[in-house]
Amino acid sequence: MGNLFSNSNGKLQLNLSRLAINRIISFTLIIITLITMIPVITTIVTSFKEQADITRDPPIFFPCDTDERVFDIRECRWAVEGYERVLGFQQSDTALLGFELTGRMVRRYIPNTIIYALGSAVFVTILAGFSGYAFSRYKFKGHKALLVGIFAVTGVPLLTNMMAIYQMSIVLRRTWNEIIANVQFINLPSYDDRLFLIFVYIGFFLPIGVWIAKGFFDAIPRELEESAMVEGCTPIGALIRVTMPLSAPGLSAVFLLTFVNIWNEFIVAYLLITRTEYKPAMVGLYDFLSQNLINLQVLAAVCLIIATPILILFLLFRRSFLRAMVEGAIKG
Amino acid sequence: MLQETSTLSGNKKITKKLSEPQYKPKKKRFYTSLPFWFILPTILVVLVVQVYPAVYTAWLSFQERTPQGWENVGFHNYERLVQTPVFQESIGHTLIFLIGYTATTLVAGFFIASLLKQHVGSTGIFVTFLFIPWIIADIVVGLMFRLLVTPTYGLLTPVLGNPELFPPSGISVLTGIRPTPWISGFPFPPAPALIYLIIAASWRALPFVTLLILAALQTVPSEVLESARIDGASGLQIVRDITIPLIMPAMVVCLFTLILGSMNGVGMVFSLTGGGPGTSTYLLSYFLYILGWRQLNFGRAAALALLITAVNWVLIFLILRITRVNERSR
Repeated sequence: MGNLFSNSNGKLQLNLSRLAINRIISFTLIIITLITMIPVITTIVTSFKEQADITRDPPIFFPCDTDERVFDIRECRWAVEGYERVLGFQQSDTALLGFELTGRMVRRYIPNTIIYALGSAVFVTILAGFSGYAFSRYKFKGHKALLVGIFAVTGVPLLTNMMAIYQMSIVLRRTWNEIIANVQFINLPSYDDRLFLIFVYIGFFLPIGVWIAKGFFDAIPRELEESAMVEGCTPIGALIRVTMPLSAPGLSAVFLLTFVNIWNEFIVAYLLITRTEYKPAMVGLYDFLSQNLINLQVLAAVCLIIATPILILFLLFRRSFLRAMVEGAIKG
Repeated sequence: MLQETSTLSGNKKITKKLSEPQYKPKKKRFYTSLPFWFILPTILVVLVVQVYPAVYTAWLSFQERTPQGWENVGFHNYERLVQTPVFQESIGHTLIFLIGYTATTLVAGFFIASLLKQHVGSTGIFVTFLFIPWIIADIVVGLMFRLLVTPTYGLLTPVLGNPELFPPSGISVLTGIRPTPWISGFPFPPAPALIYLIIAASWRALPFVTLLILAALQTVPSEVLESARIDGASGLQIVRDITIPLIMPAMVVCLFTLILGSMNGVGMVFSLTGGGPGTSTYLLSYFLYILGWRQLNFGRAAALALLITAVNWVLIFLILRITRVNERSR
């Protein structure tokens, strides 16, 4: 009886010190998280300042000082000037909500990015799904060589490939223009940078997608399909009815990863897109940088506007994101 | 009964024999060629976008443009590349960048991961917030960090420019030139801009490293740690002699992934420093961009691109070896 008592007592003490340690750990983690967030927080604060408060020397963190006091919460001069200049907010009687956004970033660049990212990600997911399935389920001649080959091409730096792809785009444009000049009986559309860009994106992000998809298919037990086939399913029927639904989380992870990677991609579009109206958001951002060297609130607002959609996606699909990104980064 | 044998044994040969008689010969041929049709589009796209360009670049590195077209010049491009002073400088910058970047992220990542592992209760909220930098585009991260040190108006500019805090005359990140090198030919100590670039890059990569190390830490069996504690090992000893050796393969994979990523990325240099001041933040990848697209020196740029590719392939080969050893030991 006494033994038991001291035991439980000891355990209680242990728990208490454990609790104290846990408090310290929590506290440290909170501090670290706050430090990590500093660049984000400063960007948010900067984006809500007026031009007059941006160009002050020395700079101030909060635009809340008055002549008498350093910080007065009632006197804060928050402004949405930066956002207004990016969005190009304008009153309009004909528009649906009474205003329209005329800024290039929202009218052109971000829709372009969405088109590129969605288009490429859909193709990458489909192609990666099929070939990942084939690599996972079938053994054939050159199986391993192909897999290692697909892995090896991811090691070629983007810019190395871009040297040739850049030349390819020039040749393509020239050839297409010649065809248009020579063919008169049908109206051919003029050369479009965007299709080639999407094609290049598919090629760049497909290998990683194949590797991730193969990993997900490997985790689905083969026996499920086999029993479906014994019950009378054809291999394609088994693929569609059994394996596809089970692999949906994996394939959506491939889709998300590709979408985010293309959203964040800069150099390929910067080199391949020549017309202003086809530029994606990241290239548009680079233009903003050269046009607004001193208008820090505009730059901060652009950063936040571009990063927010991805942030929302991340918060919604946190789990599959983390998994796909770690897996993709290891294999890519 | 038949079904049972197939599921229990899991043997491919038996199941194949079982399912074979169900199809007519013509269909069977279609099904055996199925994987080929599944993989074909992928192979084609990868051939056009990745393999052909790489081969073309390899060919290009031995060519030089003349008025008559391309002319084979052997290793001339490589020779001229190696003799370029900016190339030697860029190697130095890249080495300094890689050492600073990997050391910072691995040490800080290990620290944060151990904290997360020790933490009892929900860590989801921390993981969510800590992970945000990794999903922000590198060019946006570069710009966000640039805002902080913009001359005169940046929030950090007066702090860094304070001569009392940083003698002798304060630091100006975007315009401060590189000090005289200690060893001639190797750009050390680096310019403030390069150090700031390392900080920005580490900030972005830290979540990824933390997550990988955390995943590795979770595979360390708690019985081993427990028995070590009972045998009287101190906390430091446990970390040094048990935890770190056990997660070493993950750390090495992480290290190589970091190096690969930073060798290929240029977005942050573009938006944060633009290579400047002078050439003091030219990393190899940025130098490749300058050679190829600003100076239109395709031959020499191709030679540089091939050199970077060779380094990458060595790293990838090592990753494959290490992960394979890792899988076998499990």
